[in-house]
Amino acid sequence: MTSLVTARNVSKHFGSTRAVDDVSFSIEKGRILGLIGPNGAGKTTLLKALLGLTDCDGDLSVLGLDPFKQRKELMQNICFIADVAVLPRWIRVSQLLDYVEAVHPNFSRPRAEELLSRTKVKHDKKVRELSKGMVTQLHLSIIAAIDAKLLVLDEPTLGLDIIFRKEFYSNLLADYFDEERTILVTTHQVEEIENILTDVMFIVDGKILLDAPMETVSESYVELLASGANAEKARSYKPIHERDVFGKKVMLFEGTDRSLLAELGELHTPSIADLFVAKVKGASA
Amino acid sequence: MGNQLALIKREIWEHRSIYITPAAIAIVMLLLALTGQVAISALGASVDLAMMGANELPPEAHKAMITGFVAGLGSIFVVAMWILTIFYSLDSLYAERKDKSILFWRSLPVTDAETVLSKLLVAIVVIPLVTFAAIAVTQILSLIFASIWLNAEGGNAGLLIWQALDLVDIWGGTLIFVLALPIWLSPFVGWYLFVSAWAKRMPLLIAFLPLFVLPMIEKIVFGTAFLASAFFERTASLPLFNIGDNTFAMFELEDMPFDENMISLLGIIDLGKFLSSLSLWAGLIVCGLFTTAAIYVRRYRDES
Repeated sequence: MTSLVTARNVSKHFGSTRAVDDVSFSIEKGRILGLIGPNGAGKTTLLKALLGLTDCDGDLSVLGLDPFKQRKELMQNICFIADVAVLPRWIRVSQLLDYVEAVHPNFSRPRAEELLSRTKVKHDKKVRELSKGMVTQLHLSIIAAIDAKLLVLDEPTLGLDIIFRKEFYSNLLADYFDEERTILVTTHQVEEIENILTDVMFIVDGKILLDAPMETVSESYVELLASGANAEKARSYKPIHERDVFGKKVMLFEGTDRSLLAELGELHTPSIADLFVAKVKGASA
Repeated sequence: MGNQLALIKREIWEHRSIYITPAAIAIVMLLLALTGQVAISALGASVDLAMMGANELPPEAHKAMITGFVAGLGSIFVVAMWILTIFYSLDSLYAERKDKSILFWRSLPVTDAETVLSKLLVAIVVIPLVTFAAIAVTQILSLIFASIWLNAEGGNAGLLIWQALDLVDIWGGTLIFVLALPIWLSPFVGWYLFVSAWAKRMPLLIAFLPLFVLPMIEKIVFGTAFLASAFFERTASLPLFNIGDNTFAMFELEDMPFDENMISLLGIIDLGKFLSSLSLWAGLIVCGLFTTAAIYVRRYRDES
């Protein structure tokens, strides 16, 4: 496999605040990586560094390029949706297509037209006349018509209703994703994307808390639902997190033998959200 | 530079005032011409004389009168052009930050230098060219209206107007003027672009306050008026004419201290004087520095 992104000891300071604190990771081709973290964890700063929108310390290579110094070359092969509000409100749909077609060597106008024809977005409308969901459809149609190697999505479905959110991700998979392409996504609505992710990364206080493929996550982490004496016994296996649900204990274990736990109660693969909470609390304890 | 055409088109889509303003002025002027208020009063007494068949003006003076009248139609467009340039440059890098579309624009393979350059080009080339087109159309239509009126009143428009009209001279002179003026004033355009890229809010105030406050401070501290003259005399004087440096010389031909029999726009324009003016090149350097600073700010400032 080839690494699309390689970060070695990357840091970004704002005064004395370390927004990104000495992180190292790599992203392989054909993966869908979810970058999960609370507000102010450094997610957006890290994405900006990847996109060449901000400089940083350490070694950062994206598609073999220095993102800050070679931003124009990089943008021919990267797309990003930073927030649903970024399309200029004054522009007409047809003008937007004309512009992207003129400046982007990897944009396919027919492909964008085809994707747009499946929506209610009309060419003569201005962006300000479209609903929020339609603006996102428009943006995604443009992005999906660009033959880019890496797609970066920062809270792409913020402020959309549930129908559009679901549709966004299913369109993303259907129209955009293939083994030649890679997606990096951040969102607060983890539960909506966890079934499409191939990899997950937790970032808290500028540091990476977890960086693993999803299959490893389901192998290494297990959630046990137990009560009474079984819960007491389970506790001796040192769960990384414990919470109460309807009078029972839900304990999250890392690397503990499943056969030992299976005797004590029901086992589940933890959701990303629960795992995140456990890791963050465990890290701060 | 292959992106420049698309970038400039983009600017015109966003800032429709670039063509709406001159078009609106043209329409108002033509309506006034239609009701006779501009064309007729400008042609003035000589029209009456001509209609009575008593046009005794020598051909040179006749041509001077027509040139002065037709060229003068452009003056209001030039004033509007400069106001438009100020508002356009101040808005060009500010609006995209205010509506956050800057993140979308920067997600495409276009450099910050290309983007800022396209805005500079619109300010000092595109706006003047659109203005010139509006002036030319207004001049032609005004002359046509005047001709129809003259003929209806029994005069001979062919003889009175068209025979004495030298459009190559008028349009050549006007085109050079509308292009030279923004280049001469380019240090201001550079400053406005920089403020537009840099100001967190109220770019208009931030752009204009120093133009008044700095000369005042200079006057109080040093007792000199270098900045005041640099800022204000630059607007009032333009080293383009061989009849003095009055910026509006072209539109006030009748007041000029030279032989009115010789009036020709290309005749009063001295490009050699303009291009060899040190002030012109010093101004272009200032414009370049501010433009570079604007690119730098757009590139390096974190907008979140």
